[in-house]
Amino acid sequence: MPSQPSSPMAFPPPGFSKRKSAIALPPQSTAVSYLTALQQADAKARSNSASSAATVSTLSTPALSTSSSMSSSSSSATTVLDDDPYDPKHDGDDGLSRPAVPPTSEQVFSTIHSEFGHCGNQTYRHTSKYSGGAFDPANSHEPPYYILLSTYISYIFLIVIGHMRDYFGKKLRSANYKHLMPSNGYAALNSDFDSFYTRRLKARMDDCFSRPVTGVPGRTIALLDRTSSDYNATFDYSGTRTRALNVSSYNYLGFAQARGGCADAVEESIKRYGISACGARLEGGSTDLHLQAEALVARFVGQEDALITSMGYATNSTTIPALASKGCLIISDEFNHASIRFGVRLSGASVRMFKHNDVQDLEALLREVISQGQPRTHRPWKKILLIVEGLYSMEGSLVNLPAIIELKRKYKFYLYVDEAHSIGAMGPHGRGVIDYFGVNPRDIDIMMGTFTKSFGASGGYISGSTALISRLRLCSHAGPYCESMTPSVLTQIVASMASIMGVSPPLPPASPLATPTRSLDVAIVEKSFIGPAPAAALPTWLSLPPQLRDGSEGKERLRRLAFNARYLSRALVKLGFITYGHDDSPIIPLLIFNPGKMCLFSRMMLERKTPIVVVVVAYPATPLVTSRVRFCLSAAHTKDDVDVLLKACDEIGDVLDLKHGDGERWTLEEVMRRATELVRMP
Amino acid sequence: MADAAAATSTTDPLSAVLYQSLDVVQRTFNAIPGSAVLVRYVKSSHQNDPYRTILEVILIIFAIRTLLQSRTRAEKSGKNFIKLEEKEIDDLVDEWIPEPLVAPLDDTSRTELASVPVIAGASGPKPKLVNGKTVVNLASYNFAGLAGNESIKEKAMDTLRKYGLGSCGPPGFYGTLDVHVQLERDIASFLGTESAIIYSQGFSTICSVIPAFCKRGDIIVADRGVNFAIQKGIQISRSTVRWYDHNDPNSLEEVLESVAKEMKKKRLPLTRRFIVTEGIFQNDGAMVDLPKLIKLKLKHKYRLILDESFSFGVVGRTGRGLTELYNVPAAQIDILVGSMANGLCSAGGFCAGANVVVDHQRINGTSFVYSASMPALLAVSASAGIEMLVSTPSLLTTLHENVLAVRSVLDKLDCITIPSHPASAIIHIFIRSSATGSTLSPSYVPTFSGVSSSANAAHKPSNPTSVLSRDPEQFDIAAEERLLQDVVEEALAQGVLITRAKRLRGQEAVEPRPSIRLAITAGLTRKEVEKAAGVVKSALIKVLGKRRY
Repeated sequence: MPSQPSSPMAFPPPGFSKRKSAIALPPQSTAVSYLTALQQADAKARSNSASSAATVSTLSTPALSTSSSMSSSSSSATTVLDDDPYDPKHDGDDGLSRPAVPPTSEQVFSTIHSEFGHCGNQTYRHTSKYSGGAFDPANSHEPPYYILLSTYISYIFLIVIGHMRDYFGKKLRSANYKHLMPSNGYAALNSDFDSFYTRRLKARMDDCFSRPVTGVPGRTIALLDRTSSDYNATFDYSGTRTRALNVSSYNYLGFAQARGGCADAVEESIKRYGISACGARLEGGSTDLHLQAEALVARFVGQEDALITSMGYATNSTTIPALASKGCLIISDEFNHASIRFGVRLSGASVRMFKHNDVQDLEALLREVISQGQPRTHRPWKKILLIVEGLYSMEGSLVNLPAIIELKRKYKFYLYVDEAHSIGAMGPHGRGVIDYFGVNPRDIDIMMGTFTKSFGASGGYISGSTALISRLRLCSHAGPYCESMTPSVLTQIVASMASIMGVSPPLPPASPLATPTRSLDVAIVEKSFIGPAPAAALPTWLSLPPQLRDGSEGKERLRRLAFNARYLSRALVKLGFITYGHDDSPIIPLLIFNPGKMCLFSRMMLERKTPIVVVVVAYPATPLVTSRVRFCLSAAHTKDDVDVLLKACDEIGDVLDLKHGDGERWTLEEVMRRATELVRMP
Repeated sequence: MADAAAATSTTDPLSAVLYQSLDVVQRTFNAIPGSAVLVRYVKSSHQNDPYRTILEVILIIFAIRTLLQSRTRAEKSGKNFIKLEEKEIDDLVDEWIPEPLVAPLDDTSRTELASVPVIAGASGPKPKLVNGKTVVNLASYNFAGLAGNESIKEKAMDTLRKYGLGSCGPPGFYGTLDVHVQLERDIASFLGTESAIIYSQGFSTICSVIPAFCKRGDIIVADRGVNFAIQKGIQISRSTVRWYDHNDPNSLEEVLESVAKEMKKKRLPLTRRFIVTEGIFQNDGAMVDLPKLIKLKLKHKYRLILDESFSFGVVGRTGRGLTELYNVPAAQIDILVGSMANGLCSAGGFCAGANVVVDHQRINGTSFVYSASMPALLAVSASAGIEMLVSTPSLLTTLHENVLAVRSVLDKLDCITIPSHPASAIIHIFIRSSATGSTLSPSYVPTFSGVSSSANAAHKPSNPTSVLSRDPEQFDIAAEERLLQDVVEEALAQGVLITRAKRLRGQEAVEPRPSIRLAITAGLTRKEVEKAAGVVKSALIKVLGKRRY
């Protein structure tokens, strides 16, 4: 797009029809026409909201922010603005609805700022790629002893007080403990021991968990305000909403959008396909769209074939039992996700764990298990399956894939990589850890991933050789028994994935009709598996706007995410915090340690002038002492957003005494000023 | 001991220091309140029985050693561990040849895969297949005919424009949308329970609900014919399982009594006890006698986990499921599980029950906690589906009429048996055993209709600890599947899409008998359904008839 060199995210002004031309832009795409169009839309929206009396006490809020520009889709201006009545703090002084710096005449953004931030500065970009050299097994700073000690004392306090409350509560107010005590010949539904943690520790900070939200989980999110008058036993909803900066959703590439090319495609698919595919894959729930999406996924990850399951959790839990059984051994990283553990337990295979990301420990274990064979009988194992994750969601650490592939050559195990968080989010082309480390995808036997995160959809996939996937279609639990993926979700996957890959121009008309069969060409001819999606592989009715179709926006998103991830993790360290994980990971856990500080951190973040929603995690999701807050960055965030977050962390960190990291420290101003330098550092 | 130490204090300066420090230790020890008692106890016990002191010291050393030994190293030091040289290990590593990851596809599997029907475009009562042929659909789950409903689609598109598609997070971490909360309320008020919780996939719902409540040591009494998801949930739960004969209340009662006897005999403590069964069985379409079941569970003080995946949205005047059909308050069922994917043509599953039941799952239901919540537009579609069921009872009336119409065509056929309940919208068709002509098949014809155990009463009851019944039916899986596949293809050639019930052979607890599984829909008129059933009938006669002896 030569007329708009500033940003591939730039977009023609309202009224431009995407279907007519992909290249020639009308010359009047100036700031004047842009603003005029916006003003008109604003006026229209005002009159609309004024006329509809049904809106909930929001008439005072002007419906449009300067930047809520339209996408070129068929939707009219007013529908975009329907989001805003939810938003009491609309004025934009919090920087959530409107960027601090208004766009220049060259920059016309296609996204809504509150969903996908406007960031035109091309220096705030980076490429996610492994720099080579020795693999750092993720930083592990130890906190001072007084922090550890006070953490343990906090837990002891909580436990002792909890047990006292239970003891006296059962005696004095037995009605509240009915479900925990045997009654009327029934045993207690939940044992009070099992639920102790939930009742006595988690309940104290329940206001920080499961906060209900509404609208798009994009760059910002609208919280439903709630208060509790009975210590979090119940919540009262005031009916108001708070818009907050969202650094919690797994929206790595910012595809959680209600507007734009992907959403338009999904709408079209609902018209064409309806809501559901009505059945399991093997029993009349397969549509042509499933096959097209699977072929595209296989091409995306560089494998022969792929299988899509309607739920990410079930992708692991229904596939692993089809791969291993009694007499097989599964070696699992100690921090693997619950779905993997569930699948492993269902499989009936033996399990051994190795220390998180520790290749030496893994090798020692491999030597032991192969030489010893099965327990008692010492028969050799039928096969050994190593299951690791690409990016660990609680640690932010990346798997040491090159070293594991090296081990695989020697020890002949099968390798299963769960790329739930890394697919789309890592690597220069968004192909996950494979791409990040530049390894050959065919070195991995089974590649699993989910669409919930980077693609803004849901469900998951398994990818591998044709023989493997065909077998799994028949043998995984999902084939005959799980509902198949719904067409709308499939469309979101296809559209977002195609816009990361870019679409190669359509073949000449002599090409065979786009009949969606399994013989769809998924073979990889070039040396590298990375390339654009062939136009023939997409549904014929799918029409993506030009900036999605040529892959420029996809690349832009990847580069923005890479910058944000690196900037935040390095900046936090410079500010003195203890973080876990690798610099390039979009998941950044910040260590808090004391359980009491956790809920304080979450509440203080929410109460700021620009509210921020964060995820705090503690035992049992993490080891007892290392409670943490977990930031998930997105391509939708701007550099300003990261600055806002850093400022909040800096201030709260001082109040809560969280800065215990070692190494050189910078001031907040210095960090913000030298952001690009910080990111470019090796 | 103190006196002895003082008396022997002599010349050596080193020993003087030693004795001095010992003295300090002793004094401090004596200063601790109650220490005198301990000293006196040790002294007197040593006096009475010197060997005991030695034994106790050994015991203490052993206890310390056990405590220090980490769990993970136990295997290495175990007597089963063979210590090998590095060189030997290298050789063993080199020699080890693993089995292939999966068995290569054989011809049967290849044919099986190739025969999976693929719909081009929207699924519905009359979809188009990828080969361009338009067929009448008796295979997909579209019971109330909600697939392709325009008003639901409209609502879904509106939702898309407000929420986007994915929820991008698990329910605990900002994945709980107001539409999810609304759907939970809708389900709870539709069924009449205190509350409900939604999961993002039907299959994973019961898999997760069972282990959330049933723990090691608890007792599960389950039907031998439960579906695969329940089997997996039971397997994960590690509870003690007792099985009763498929859909046989008498057998259930016997098992409940035997459990009670066993508990009494062994004086086991009171544990949670559950009856797990399905409303309409996925594997054969039989229906439980709910009032009887509730009577038994109340009598024996069990909790009931009922999977209504194939009855919710299907039976009852407005599709509330078995509770509506039998006019039983849903609150009587402790844990009620259903599927919005099957019953409401949307996605996901739910679990309804009392507040304590539901809230417990919000932190203990693994596939709820660890999975992203379902897309907003699917939740809204499900809510809209419930609204349709309530506002348009004619949908369900049509469905029930269509089911009756199909049954009246197929019931008369003598080359098949239909184990399904007359009200079930999934209809399984078994080959009547003599029709296969297999020598394996005895003349025994299974009769699943309701209480049928009078014939079996003479037999000794099956062993409740084993999932296999005492006299399982005999059938030749491969032969029957081949025949049924011929029927499916014959029907498809005549323009009716039906499917065999697909199974995970080798992974099921009990191999279900091969069958054709029809799914009746309200999206077709009575005439169309009758015609389609006629096609199925003639296909059955054509394929099975000519093979009869």
